[in-house]
Amino acid sequence: MATHTYDAIFIGGGHNGLVAAAYLARAGKRVLVLERRHVLGGAAVTEELYPGFKYTVFSYVVSLLRPEIIRDLDLPRHGLKILPLPSTFTPLPNGDYLAAWDDHDQTRRELYRHSPRDAEAYDDYGRQMFRMAMAVRPILNMVPPDPASLSPNDLLGWLRLGGHARGLSRADFHNLAKLMTMSAADLLDEWFECEPLKGTKSASGIIGTFLGPRSPGTAYVLLHHYMGEIDGVFRAWGFAKGGTGGISNALASAARAAGVEIRTEAPVAQVIVKNGRAVGVALENGDELSARYVASSLDPKRTFLALVDAQHLPGDFVDAIRRFKIRGSSGKVNLALDALPNFTALPNGPDGQALLHRGAVSISPSVDYIERAFDEAKYGRFSRRPYIDCIFPSVIDPAMAPPGRHVMSCFVQYAPYALEGGWNDAQREAFGDAVVDTLAEYAPNLKQIIRHRQVLTPLDIEQMTGLTEGNIFQGELALHQLFFLRPVPQWAQYRTPIANFWQCGAGTHPGGGIMGASGRLAALEMLKDWK
Amino acid sequence: MATSYDAIVIGAGHNGLTAAAYLARAGQKVLVLERRGLVGGSVVTEELWPGFKVDTAAHRGQLAGEIVRDLALGRHGLVMLPGVASLFSPLPDGESLWLSTDPVATRDSLQRHSPADAARWAAFTARLDQVAGLLREAYALSMPAVPDIPAGDLPALARLAWHWRGLGKADMLEVLRLLPMSARELLDEWFESPALQAALAALGVQGLRQGPLSAGTAFLLAHQWVNHGGPFKATARGGLGQITAALASAARSAGAEIRTGAEVTRLLVEDGRAVGVVLADGAELRAQRLVSALDPRRTFLGLVDPFALDPEFVRAVQNIKLRGAFAKVHLALAGLPQFKAVAGGLGPAPLRGVIHIGPSLMDLERAYDDAKYGRPSQRPWLEVTLPSVADPALAPDGQHVMSIWVQYAPYHLQDGDWDTQREALGDRVVRTLAEYAPGLEGLIVQRQVLTPLDLERTFGLTEGNVYHGEMMLDQILFMRPVPGWAQYRTPLEGLYLCGPGTHPGGGVSGLPGRNAARQLLKDLQDRA
Repeated sequence: MATHTYDAIFIGGGHNGLVAAAYLARAGKRVLVLERRHVLGGAAVTEELYPGFKYTVFSYVVSLLRPEIIRDLDLPRHGLKILPLPSTFTPLPNGDYLAAWDDHDQTRRELYRHSPRDAEAYDDYGRQMFRMAMAVRPILNMVPPDPASLSPNDLLGWLRLGGHARGLSRADFHNLAKLMTMSAADLLDEWFECEPLKGTKSASGIIGTFLGPRSPGTAYVLLHHYMGEIDGVFRAWGFAKGGTGGISNALASAARAAGVEIRTEAPVAQVIVKNGRAVGVALENGDELSARYVASSLDPKRTFLALVDAQHLPGDFVDAIRRFKIRGSSGKVNLALDALPNFTALPNGPDGQALLHRGAVSISPSVDYIERAFDEAKYGRFSRRPYIDCIFPSVIDPAMAPPGRHVMSCFVQYAPYALEGGWNDAQREAFGDAVVDTLAEYAPNLKQIIRHRQVLTPLDIEQMTGLTEGNIFQGELALHQLFFLRPVPQWAQYRTPIANFWQCGAGTHPGGGIMGASGRLAALEMLKDWK
Repeated sequence: MATSYDAIVIGAGHNGLTAAAYLARAGQKVLVLERRGLVGGSVVTEELWPGFKVDTAAHRGQLAGEIVRDLALGRHGLVMLPGVASLFSPLPDGESLWLSTDPVATRDSLQRHSPADAARWAAFTARLDQVAGLLREAYALSMPAVPDIPAGDLPALARLAWHWRGLGKADMLEVLRLLPMSARELLDEWFESPALQAALAALGVQGLRQGPLSAGTAFLLAHQWVNHGGPFKATARGGLGQITAALASAARSAGAEIRTGAEVTRLLVEDGRAVGVVLADGAELRAQRLVSALDPRRTFLGLVDPFALDPEFVRAVQNIKLRGAFAKVHLALAGLPQFKAVAGGLGPAPLRGVIHIGPSLMDLERAYDDAKYGRPSQRPWLEVTLPSVADPALAPDGQHVMSIWVQYAPYHLQDGDWDTQREALGDRVVRTLAEYAPGLEGLIVQRQVLTPLDLERTFGLTEGNVYHGEMMLDQILFMRPVPGWAQYRTPLEGLYLCGPGTHPGGGVSGLPGRNAARQLLKDLQDRA
């Protein structure tokens, strides 16, 4: 047998690639991670794009990172620190607002102001979603069994799953079955009447998808976002110290400590396949590196349509990968500010700050508002009045901006990748203007305090991070692309039709968000395969 | 004390009559009660104007083959019309698409739109046949109670699993992958021609307040494929109402009694058991079992004292989505309308089948956008039939009846109410259609517009929903009508459901009625 320089080479230094590499290295393997950019983290990076102001460029909050990864890799020792985001503030066009605070009683009083009925239903809803999330959680930690296979491993997987399903109460099982298929709007209509509440909650169902809140399937995405745990606290979103780049740095540090070699600015041109087996990679600079296993954390399209010569793959597999839906639907606007925006609904105090700046600000006054934003996108336009989720990283972590100054991170939906007429500089600025104009309706001083603005269209996100269409989940979380169908039928177990070539990105089960579960499960499968 | 029956069936629609016929054949003493003066429910042909016989609610469909066979409906006068199996889609530019059971004509028509689509048509219909075959198997069963499946249900499920495994490894997963998709996702994978995509996507949204971009509409497309045995829709000689007339005849000859003009206003419940019904005239009728063909919401929230039911169950019933999405317009015409697209030399043959008005899939989505915000579509999707072309007896000599399915017409309007918007809707429909068939206005002798509100009032379709509950993924199979109660039984001992609000749902198939009757008979047997 040929000798390889490495036991495993991982293509892509995003969080899943780093997690997988670290797990292999901890098992004593000689591992190399190759990253195209100068900075590690993929879509989880922090960059100082304007002197003194650090942008958490793409992803900006965290809650899904699997607790077992944090534990196994001892991430806090490597600098991971997650700071709480204690509130969600939804300003309304009528000058009022709806807020959810970290204080339960305060939230209840606030809701009561809008709808006593919803205040009553709120706790029951929370308990139900908690139970649903608990019901799904074991599935996040398992390799999807193949229903078409009768192999002992697959049958065992189904038995485990069946046992789990039987362990649920009838009511929970039924609720989960409905939740998997319905729309976020329909789900919330069953519980609440207050439009700002339904709008804000339904937004979790559309993030990263090319769907509106009334589209069936969005209730599951809502649940997916509900599954986060931070320090054991469910449904807690947090901000990583130093931005999401802080998470990547901690992962890289843990990986290096375990013995992983990491090279940045080392773009891979191709996976080298000999006799149907992956044997290494060729870098763009012409270097060739050999390894026993090669794994890609890039999205499925990039992995199979760009890195691998099509002749090494079965035609129907390539067709299936082409059909895999990765639709870019969101953009990002990062702002460097001289001061904090002053929201009419809850004006800043004498210190130039309000309580709301410590948490998220959500522009989601109603379900219809978001649905209308989606309507524009489905006909190829960006939303003139988009859904926006903002945080102020410098309020939570003052090191993110010079003293007294601030950074603001705005996630924006919808911005279709396939914009009518295509994205160009003028369209990018118009999109940025739509975001700032929308926010300025609620915080009129915003335009005067902007020092620097970075607008990222889905095309920009694709070009910078390599994510196809700029889709943050590496493939839509639609029912026909989940579990044993992710990314494509028969290849949901991290293997690929090419021997010794593996996939470990968010395009595999259980999917996107800074979760790391795909990387971890892939690494565990690879280790099982090691002879 | 009044006469007591083994079973009283509430509602003489096709499912109620099917259930009644099966029960009577098994020796049960059955009474069917119908509110209207005629039987048929939504599958009914009415002489709206002298000499003009109109399929007033459903306008196409057929019963499942086993029901026709079991009940020998041919002997009761049912004749399905051959030669109506086609789908004709005239386009704004005078072009058209014409799909039919004639493979050569279909290929030629597709070829003009896209040679690639023409080449894929056979493979697509084969894939849908495969999915439909699997669903068909599931539709013949009572759904098992999940997650604790009783041992008695296992053999049937094993057969279903066996059928599925028989598809082979790749296809096994393909059929699963298809069901939760949107019609657009599915059709994008197969076809490029807008006209073809639109005509097929329409099958996926018919009767739903959902657009073709909504996940799960591929399922409805497959469901219709099961019910119609393919993409084409059948009808019966003498109008669709002949189906229910034959069912009524079969039920009567098996010994069932049918009373029309007998509206049930309340169920009699004693000690948690449904024991009889109260009619509008105050009469009380008792039976061992009650079988309601009405929709679940009407049954449980309209006929039963809410205190007789578990609040969680009531909540589940309240949460059933029944969103009316369509209206119907019926026209009596002095002559045959001239479609621009037919002038090309197709002759009247395409007018025998279903005529689809909706040039592209995104046009359907735009029509849905209006409905989403509570407005009737400015540019509605229309499904038009001219039953008198294939069956001249339905209209006076040389004259014709035309029925138009209009979507979207949401039951809940943002502004105004349907009583004041009825005629405006009719005008818009005629205007839209006249763009394809110029001169249509001049042929109209009579017109009837049935808004969702009218459909509710006349046919008892809550919110005008033809399926008695949206056919979406969260309301099908073991979740229909509500999770935990998919076996036609209800929390009230002795009360069964048999309408399309139960598995396997809407359409003219009659399967809910048949399955319910079989479940009831099986329960009797198990008890004995």
